[in-house]
Amino acid sequence: MYKIEIKTRQQFKNSNAESILEEIKGLSITGINKTNYSPLYFIDADLTADEAKTIASQLLADQITQEWTIIKEKPVPPDKKQAAEPKMASQPFSIEVFYKKGVTDTAAESVIKAVKDLGITKEMKVKTGHKYYFWGDVSLEVLGTIAKKILSNNIIQEYKIN
Amino acid sequence: MNTLNCKIIEILSLTDIRLIQLSRDNTLSLSLREMKTLQNYFQKLQRNPTDVELETIAQTWSEHCKHKTLTGHIEYIQEQGNHRTKTKYDNILKETIFKATAELAKPWCLSVFKDNAGIIEFDEQNAVAFKVETHNHPSALEPYGGSATGIGGVIRDILGVGLGAKPLANTDVFCFGNPNAEQEDIPSDIHHPKRIMKGVVSGVRDYGNRMGIPTVNGALYFDDGYTANPLVYCGTMGIIEKNKIEKRVEPGDLVLLVGGKTGRDGIHGATFSSIRLNKESDVRAVQIGNPIVEKKVLDALLKARDLNLYRALTDCGAGGLSSSVGELGEKTGVKVQLEKVPLKYEGLSPWEIWISEAQERMVLAVPAKNKNKILEIFKQEEVEAVFIGEFTNDKRLTLYYNEDMVADIDMEFLHDGIPKPLRLARHKIIHEIRQKPVKMSEEKIAKSLKAVLSDLNVCSKEWVIRQYDHEVQGQTVVKPLQGSSIEISGPGDAAVINPFTIVEGTKKGIVLSCGMNPQYGKISPYKMAASAIEEALRNAVCVGADIKKIALLDNFCWGNTSRPEILGSLIRAAFACYDMSKAFGAPFISGKDSLHNEYSMDGARYSIPAALLISAIGVIEDISKTITMPFKEKGNKVILLGLTRNELGGSVFSKINKVKEGMIPDVYPQESLLIMEQIHSAISKNIIQSCHDLSEGGLAVAASEMAFSSNLGVKINIDAVQCKERILPAEILFSESNGRFLVEVKPQDFAEFTNIFKKTIYSEIGAVESENIIFESPKHNLSIQYSSKELYEEWTRPLKNL
Repeated sequence: MYKIEIKTRQQFKNSNAESILEEIKGLSITGINKTNYSPLYFIDADLTADEAKTIASQLLADQITQEWTIIKEKPVPPDKKQAAEPKMASQPFSIEVFYKKGVTDTAAESVIKAVKDLGITKEMKVKTGHKYYFWGDVSLEVLGTIAKKILSNNIIQEYKIN
Repeated sequence: MNTLNCKIIEILSLTDIRLIQLSRDNTLSLSLREMKTLQNYFQKLQRNPTDVELETIAQTWSEHCKHKTLTGHIEYIQEQGNHRTKTKYDNILKETIFKATAELAKPWCLSVFKDNAGIIEFDEQNAVAFKVETHNHPSALEPYGGSATGIGGVIRDILGVGLGAKPLANTDVFCFGNPNAEQEDIPSDIHHPKRIMKGVVSGVRDYGNRMGIPTVNGALYFDDGYTANPLVYCGTMGIIEKNKIEKRVEPGDLVLLVGGKTGRDGIHGATFSSIRLNKESDVRAVQIGNPIVEKKVLDALLKARDLNLYRALTDCGAGGLSSSVGELGEKTGVKVQLEKVPLKYEGLSPWEIWISEAQERMVLAVPAKNKNKILEIFKQEEVEAVFIGEFTNDKRLTLYYNEDMVADIDMEFLHDGIPKPLRLARHKIIHEIRQKPVKMSEEKIAKSLKAVLSDLNVCSKEWVIRQYDHEVQGQTVVKPLQGSSIEISGPGDAAVINPFTIVEGTKKGIVLSCGMNPQYGKISPYKMAASAIEEALRNAVCVGADIKKIALLDNFCWGNTSRPEILGSLIRAAFACYDMSKAFGAPFISGKDSLHNEYSMDGARYSIPAALLISAIGVIEDISKTITMPFKEKGNKVILLGLTRNELGGSVFSKINKVKEGMIPDVYPQESLLIMEQIHSAISKNIIQSCHDLSEGGLAVAASEMAFSSNLGVKINIDAVQCKERILPAEILFSESNGRFLVEVKPQDFAEFTNIFKKTIYSEIGAVESENIIFESPKHNLSIQYSSKELYEEWTRPLKNL
């Protein structure tokens, strides 16, 4: 399983992130001073590292305004799991939002088709998601409110706070 | 009947209580009487139904598909003062709206109330189809997906009308709660109105824009009554050759399913729409749209249509295959192999496949000889197309899953077996009283002008309109935003499309407009409906439409009509539709109702303010004879057509200033019809430079909008306005009397103008100025003055930075 995150390069405007910040202010939540947003793609397929890179760079990202990270996710053995480190002030919180199982993911369907058009014809499952970053002084409860009221709709989506 | 792939549902032995329970537990939304009719049918067959049969009947008999409230028996009691009348109706729609159309018998109405959309003549070879749908409940739960599938669905209605029309334009009208409400005032289990609004607007935007169809006309209406239950109306207009309007199915034709795959999306959408929204609303009723698939379906379908490869088609809307295949096979009979339906994932049982409301699917009746050719066309366009069955001549619906027969129902019972319900309706006509004279100081009137312009129901809707592509296809000749420069966008009354890419060289245009005002309906549903009809007609006339060639669409969104007073108000509105349609000679060609718009929470019930949306469509002979609403030139005369009455009831001004009582604006067709005819004649002769209708906010708003949209000014003499009765300046400025238009005429054309309008009441009330908006009354020693720029900013401010 590859997890590909598409980040907006620093010098470019991330309007999604800006509008989220506005909406947080609209909920009268204080303490968050910066936000960021990245689309996420989970690709479940037997891909080589090069193929994953091709998909990220040629299809999912705009090479001028965006950069990408690819993480190959493997099941981690229990004894190797590290305890969550306390967050430093400069480290952001993040919230990931996904569709619930069974909800039609049209963007994922398009990705599958486009990957085939790139010439990679392996069987694959794709799932899309959203990742939001928050900098500032904020409680987990407030993050939950943001996730519920702004970022996700619990009828079709679920979220995870990191 | 084999039971391997379906369940046999025990109903033969059930008591009444158990029957009701069965209906409720399975979201069938069937009444006891309907359940008993069903029980009776299967008793005669000496067997129990399968789950597939039960679900099929529930879908077909749903309010959404059969409109059983309005087509059923209604006992209506009307009270006015001490006078009380009791009337019985067997089908209120037939006795009002359809009746007007039948009596008007316009030869240019080509298909009314029978297909997916109404169709009127465009020219000798072509016709235009128009349909408006609602998607309220899904949009309350998932605003983005709900509204996107709303627009996607109505586009398919146009694709599925006749043998398929090409969509040319979309319309959208939304009703929301207050987007500026405090979060803590919104119940925790519903979305904030701002979130609903943003989601709905972006859903329609993303679907419409990606389909390459311009969104050209619409309206936004705000009222706290729509906080928990927003209204989302989506419309599509398309063009079709006249010889492709009729569809037929013949025994032996094959059933072809094209488009998206089937999943659990939107299961029970049709029966769900008859249920009050509450916390436990079924999550499966939410659908997700995919415009890219629908665009491919559109392209492939039109190709197959032009090669005459199929005889009939329809879209899969509410009720899914159950409704669409059932409808096409109603007169013949049909046999379907459910295992052939392409699925998104495994594990769907036959009844789920049959009633799923997965999006972007259409069903076609294909003569067997065209089998391979039509598959080839869909393959070229990369659209999945699978034959799933065959039309028969046994007048039965038979469904198989592999070898197993899972349903076998008589078509006649399925479509006509539903018992007609009897509903009670009651309406008390409220005696309206004129408000106390509104004596206001100059300062207060000036303040009111700003407050009315920045009211959510008057202010600029540019934030919404600019998100939509209203130019794609390149045929929008009169646009939704009209102004003198890119920085200034005034509110166009109606849009005009010139379909030259389909009808080469045509000079003709198609005009689309709408009208609604739920505020009036809180006092008088009759006047609300009459006003909405006149407003839609006025808007079309403003840009140059000929009142003799305008057709109407009705969309009733009402509260829970099992409550007699709510159904009663609907009946009053339906009678207004009959009266006005006849009086204006404007036939209804299509319509849809969405009842049960009610939300229950903590034991309390919230019914929405009744909302009748009237959409108008007309054909304009020559698009070069159309005009827009901004003033054109300084020095031109400003003339008010029509009579001003003291009608402040339900007005924006009264709401803001908390004026009690007041008469709701009435409609006087004998006055306004003549004005509409004369405006058409004057626009055709280039005598009118600009024209704008007076609605919410009255004269003050219309004059200000025409001025600031042109970056010019205007000076209005309030004393010159001809009024029906004694009336004060503030009342003249903000009365919302129907039947009025503000027009701009060049001084040199004035003689010709007076000649055209000699039988009409008009008032020469002012002139176009360079930069200030001035309303003055020498008689009352009043003068209100603002710069155009200041009022424009006030008007654009409220919905600017959402």
